[in-house]
Amino acid sequence: MKILSKNGNELIMLAMKTDIATKGDYLLIVDEKSNKKMIVQIYDEDYFSSQSLIEDIVKDEVVVASSTENLHDPLNIGKLSRIIRDARLFRAKIRAAIDISDRLSSDISWLPSRVFSKVERLRISELNSFLGRTGILPIPIGKTGKDNEDFDIYAEEFDGKLNIITGKKESGKSHLSKMLIKTLVQYGAFVIVFDLNNEYGGLAWNSDGSRSSIQDQVMILEPGNGLKFSLEYCGKSGISNMLKNSLDLPAASLREFFRIWDSLKNKKTLDLESLGNAINTWNINELVRDALISRYHVIQTSRLFTDASKRDELRFESIITENRKGAAMIVNMGKITSVVRKMIVELILSKLVDLLEKNIIPPIFLFAEEAQLYIRETYWEDIITRMRHFGIYTTFITNQPDAISDGIYRQVDNIFLFNFTNDADLDKLSKVSLLDNETIRSIAKTLPQRHCLAIGKAVSDLPVVVKIATTEILTLGETKKFFKI
Amino acid sequence: MTTQYSFVSSCINVDEFDQMLHRSLNRCLSTSIHDMLKGKKIIFNMDERTKIPINGWGMKSNPYCATTINPIKPILENTTVSAIDSSSIQVAETEEGTLYAVKCGIVMSSRGQTFIHLRIGPILFYLSKETIRDSEIDHRLAKLILFDNECAKRLIRVRIERAVQMIISNHFKRSIILIDGSLKPSLFEDKDQSIKNVAENCALNRNSMIGISKSTKFKILDKISSSLTKIPGPAYMDVNLVIKSLIRNTIGDSVIVKFGNGNSAILRADIVTSDRNKYFLFGKLLGNDSMADGYPETLRLAHHISTFTNTEVSCLKGHILSSYEVTELASEDIRRTLLGSLLI
Repeated sequence: MKILSKNGNELIMLAMKTDIATKGDYLLIVDEKSNKKMIVQIYDEDYFSSQSLIEDIVKDEVVVASSTENLHDPLNIGKLSRIIRDARLFRAKIRAAIDISDRLSSDISWLPSRVFSKVERLRISELNSFLGRTGILPIPIGKTGKDNEDFDIYAEEFDGKLNIITGKKESGKSHLSKMLIKTLVQYGAFVIVFDLNNEYGGLAWNSDGSRSSIQDQVMILEPGNGLKFSLEYCGKSGISNMLKNSLDLPAASLREFFRIWDSLKNKKTLDLESLGNAINTWNINELVRDALISRYHVIQTSRLFTDASKRDELRFESIITENRKGAAMIVNMGKITSVVRKMIVELILSKLVDLLEKNIIPPIFLFAEEAQLYIRETYWEDIITRMRHFGIYTTFITNQPDAISDGIYRQVDNIFLFNFTNDADLDKLSKVSLLDNETIRSIAKTLPQRHCLAIGKAVSDLPVVVKIATTEILTLGETKKFFKI
Repeated sequence: MTTQYSFVSSCINVDEFDQMLHRSLNRCLSTSIHDMLKGKKIIFNMDERTKIPINGWGMKSNPYCATTINPIKPILENTTVSAIDSSSIQVAETEEGTLYAVKCGIVMSSRGQTFIHLRIGPILFYLSKETIRDSEIDHRLAKLILFDNECAKRLIRVRIERAVQMIISNHFKRSIILIDGSLKPSLFEDKDQSIKNVAENCALNRNSMIGISKSTKFKILDKISSSLTKIPGPAYMDVNLVIKSLIRNTIGDSVIVKFGNGNSAILRADIVTSDRNKYFLFGKLLGNDSMADGYPETLRLAHHISTFTNTEVSCLKGHILSSYEVTELASEDIRRTLLGSLLI
């Protein structure tokens, strides 16, 4: 491989067919004259083409198509010509440099010699050693490069971070998030998953039907089945937030609701039945009563509430106390209405903030699938700024990158980008992500299934293409089909 | 600047200079263009390339307008048509000699379909005093080709073409052999593999040979060809007398021919055929070779496979550097260096 030219912060290299490298691979350019090294990453591959080469190819094809060819080529020039036709150009972004004392440097203002430079593929282990990238809690997410080197990210890199896993449908997003959740739980973390397709329950089982290593730590929560709160536990602010944001209760009605709540609280009869009775008998405007009754019915049918006396309510602090070694709380939202989804998210988030604020529970990792479907717009900012400080570390999983606002992208620490073919999606990502437009566009378009481009702090800001490892986790949430083929 | 101009004007009287120049040139060349050109038909030339008017010069300028035009009809009799073409280039120079490369293309067709083609080369030749001394080339010719690169390239081309023509004329029977250019003995051909030997082989094996020239240096033929442009289909005109009166050593009969319809190209063809029936020969050619744009497809293909591409030239240079233990010296284009180039 030889350096051919430089254009901005990218180098163009000439490679023959025998030079094996693919998009995403790192190359080390060693300038033997100045003893400096440069780390570049291939982001695109093209044929070496000139007008005359194209004319030759076309001409040859026309001639060969028109009759049988016989060759008398004593010097075997044809073979050389074929080698030239297969020559390729690698476009590589300059990522870093290594100074004379073998330390990573950001000084990439120098130009390596075209004559005296040696270009060699950089193994990920070598890259890690240059970067000094080590950790205590590795998450082996897959393999990278032609040599299938093991690639780990570290759980520490998720602590206090905002992550996005994005890619088109069936590109492997959920697979990666399940792997992350499983490992985080194994390391003793507490994870809440807003599961839109009821698929994360598979974390409890291996694909062969046996129990998974974290089965005892996986909790499936559904309305009426494990996911029940008492009004007392949710608190006045939690319920009022739910009424206001999820059930759109007007301010006037909300004021009357507060009076009812305070009255019931004083009487120590704060349960669902008493609330219903109070709304029906309270001396209020009939329109307000109607508004409260309709919300009450939604609350009642949501199966999200229970009476504290029944002792079947969900208390996050109890779960955490009972599962000291970590737990995955999977909130199944696949079969419930969008209103109930919004109510669940509102209640859980406000309760978590309340508990974290009071230092009752440790920080929580939150995995939210297609969050745009159940998190109100104003909440996004809360999640990435305020809640982050309280200790809710979110990972968004989405196939609609444009559903996430620019503000979130600018705060994001890690992006795991799977295949996208749609230019509009790539445009969105390339505008706001931590990586240059060309790399994102070129690599993301050609990523095979279960391959992702890891960008951000988890990879020390040097993007890496990773082939996500297969796991033993049971696959759930498959689309129910009519044709049983 | 003014001082300089005054100095020059004091040395040369510009008016006097102009008059002297005018008198001097008028002795041999007429500069009174206006009257001479008035009313004339004109085509402009570019890059020294020969051009012909698409619809001919017109009947007014045709002194041979009474010559018989013979229309050609395709004759569907199975005959092998073989076309041969070659090209040679100068690849490199050493202190003692020059390195040339040659390529040759042979294309065969029958019933309007090309069925096989053979690429020969690139083959390298190194011509130096030493290499020529060991060859059978006449020493006067040797001096010429060492002195003139164009002659050397021509020698290599002629030799390889004749060798191929000899093989084909020996191998096939009752076939048609197409050659790019006129059938004229060359100074550079080997006496045992001359065009005459090829013609003899053709006669022995009842092959026919046609040398097709895309352009001719005889301007009179351009004028004669005007009549053919008016004929809608393929046709030929006998110009044997004209050619024989201009050059003596051509082989066979000369015609101008149009293989295509309408305004397709008019070509000069030299023919060697055993039965001297040109109508039958052209008919068989039309029946067995396809004529896109009025030019035999076999010859066109032979031209394409015998020309050097830039990639091949680069590969040849690479091969020479890697295989023959030579050292490449830095070089420059002296003309370009001295004259420079103005990019507009």
